[in-house]
Amino acid sequence: MSEQPTVKPPSPRLPKTRLTPTVDSVTSIASDGSRRDLHPADVHGRFTTARRWSGWGLIAFYLVLPWIPLNGHPAVFIDIAERRFHFFGYTLAAQDTWLLFFGVTGLGFALFFLTALFGRLWCGWACPQTVYLEHVYRVIERWIDGDATQRRELAAAPLTAAKAGKRVAKHGLYILASLLITHLFLSYFVSLPELWDMMQHAPGEHWAAFLFVFIAAGILYFNFAWFREQLCIVICPYGRLQSALTDDHSLSIGYDAQRGEPRGKLRQEAGVGSELARAVSAEARASSLTHAKPGACVDCNRCVQVCPTGIDIRHGLQMECIGCAACIDACDEVMTRVKRPTGLIRYDSFAGLTGLATRWVRPRTILYGVLLCVGIAVATFAFSTVKPANFLVFRTGGASYFVGPEDVRNQFMVRLVNKLTVPATFIVSSEGLPAGLHQSGFEAPVTLAPMAESVSPLVLVARRHDYHGPFKFTVRVRDAAQTFTLAREVEFMGPDAHLLKEDEEHDKESHERKP
Amino acid sequence: MSSSPLPPDDPGIKLRDHTYDGIQEYDQRLPNWWLYTLYGAIVFWVIYWFVYMIAGIMPTDGSRVDTAMAGISAAKLASSIDVSNDDKFWEMSGNVVFTDAGKQTFTSLCTPCHLPSMRGKSENLAAVGPDLTDTAWIHGGTPKELFAVVSKGVMAKGMPAWEPVLGQKKSVEVVAYILSHHQKGEAITVEVSK
Repeated sequence: MSEQPTVKPPSPRLPKTRLTPTVDSVTSIASDGSRRDLHPADVHGRFTTARRWSGWGLIAFYLVLPWIPLNGHPAVFIDIAERRFHFFGYTLAAQDTWLLFFGVTGLGFALFFLTALFGRLWCGWACPQTVYLEHVYRVIERWIDGDATQRRELAAAPLTAAKAGKRVAKHGLYILASLLITHLFLSYFVSLPELWDMMQHAPGEHWAAFLFVFIAAGILYFNFAWFREQLCIVICPYGRLQSALTDDHSLSIGYDAQRGEPRGKLRQEAGVGSELARAVSAEARASSLTHAKPGACVDCNRCVQVCPTGIDIRHGLQMECIGCAACIDACDEVMTRVKRPTGLIRYDSFAGLTGLATRWVRPRTILYGVLLCVGIAVATFAFSTVKPANFLVFRTGGASYFVGPEDVRNQFMVRLVNKLTVPATFIVSSEGLPAGLHQSGFEAPVTLAPMAESVSPLVLVARRHDYHGPFKFTVRVRDAAQTFTLAREVEFMGPDAHLLKEDEEHDKESHERKP
Repeated sequence: MSSSPLPPDDPGIKLRDHTYDGIQEYDQRLPNWWLYTLYGAIVFWVIYWFVYMIAGIMPTDGSRVDTAMAGISAAKLASSIDVSNDDKFWEMSGNVVFTDAGKQTFTSLCTPCHLPSMRGKSENLAAVGPDLTDTAWIHGGTPKELFAVVSKGVMAKGMPAWEPVLGQKKSVEVVAYILSHHQKGEAITVEVSK
């Protein structure tokens, strides 16, 4: 399969030696360690079209979210300064950060589940690395530098004014795109008006934000202009996890070797292909080099030319494959042109490619599915417990309780946090108090400004003759409209009631003074 | 940024000489960019070590913390009030800016014990705190003594220390508000607490 001359399209401009990917080394790294730039050829087809639309949809989604106001805030606004996190009209406070656990584990299990079923669908269709590279940066490159052949020639050409102009234009647009993406990213954390305000002032007034945006833009520029597939191949851990997450029944992009091999040049006389090829016996295959009847693969190398990570999919599933489906479209196009059935390279499981049926329901998918469902159920419950207020009761500093001449007293502080973006009124009450207990503090409802918090005392006094030892009671918070309630159990602490009585007998006189 | 396809003279993949259990090892180079990150880290380490440890060009984290803390205490000192000056308290008690702010704090924090009227036990025997409007004081009735009670509390009786919670400014405002119910130079009685 190596050192085959180009068959299709027979372009005289192509260099004689061609890139021949092997499974033993990375195509984009030369044996001296230098980087070998890949110039994936243009490809057309149903997956390419679908991917373009979904990619643009995702980019539009990312760009538009900060502009849509919902309940007075952008649809997604992670307000670092105020420590309030707005998601589609739903506001969480810093106190709710623990819910992030479900976000992280949910993402993990969803990815596990999807990977076990569909392989690297994420990489090819939804990962920001692929989405921006394929649908922004490569589009710019294609527009300025031309198709793969022209790009390769331009790269090899000596530096002329025309080449310099193209390079400046391309990298200028790259930088512009990177700055746009990072500015929008910052607006997720500071909101657009704040971002606009910062952009109109000198960088010195907001060094942190300025450095963040420009360093992030620099990283993006480096990544998308030069680093590209190296991130997927060398850095990203998800690709490395594939061998642990997938099995023979997971969907991946694969080459139907049974149908395709032995590959060979297209001969007009061997036009009728596939069913014959299927029937080829081992002996016939062995002798197919001399005979004119090869498998369905015409060895046009299109699948290699269009690959953005520089692999030959006909070597089987490889770690470098990001599942972009470009080779499927490329092969289908060729198969259509030579009037053979499409799908020689297709989305299929390893089992499916070897002629077996793909089992969708298997221990792995059941386990991942169950874990995902458990996670979703617990997360739903956890989110349902989030109330528009936070509330905490703690004892004031100093002694745990105070014994006066007439009474036993406990002092608490109640912290209330209004997590809403509108003022809210709260009613604080104590429940389960024994008869004769007097509460002071929170006689009237408390109104808190949007996102404000207050700490106020709650004092409970038991007359000595009503006091019968420590007890537990409940402090409850309601909003004025009675839409929710929060409760905490608190202990009223005090001395043993009998000892208090004895004590009272002994030093009655000593307490006869103004407290 | 080499862009040519595999040159014809590329030696390809090398194998190490040794063989163990019939297994041979490739001898492939790391990507150059990867090596550059290593070299870059080494260069960074040398520069960092020289700048921080040897030349002392940049302040260390410890000295930066010390500087910041000194700055904070200087700012505190600059905006702090002389709490031993009774006259200053009396002056503030006549200024609505201070008394209004003090009233706000008093209403949200002090009323459960001292009642909104500030009259405490004089108004309702069941109240926890003593009357703050009369001329009889328990822990001293001069403004600076009053401030000491508000800021440090009377732990044995349940009066919390408020300065750690409110800060000096708000504590002073509360004292000014209490003093606005009194006259400078009025006769006071002090019951020395046990």
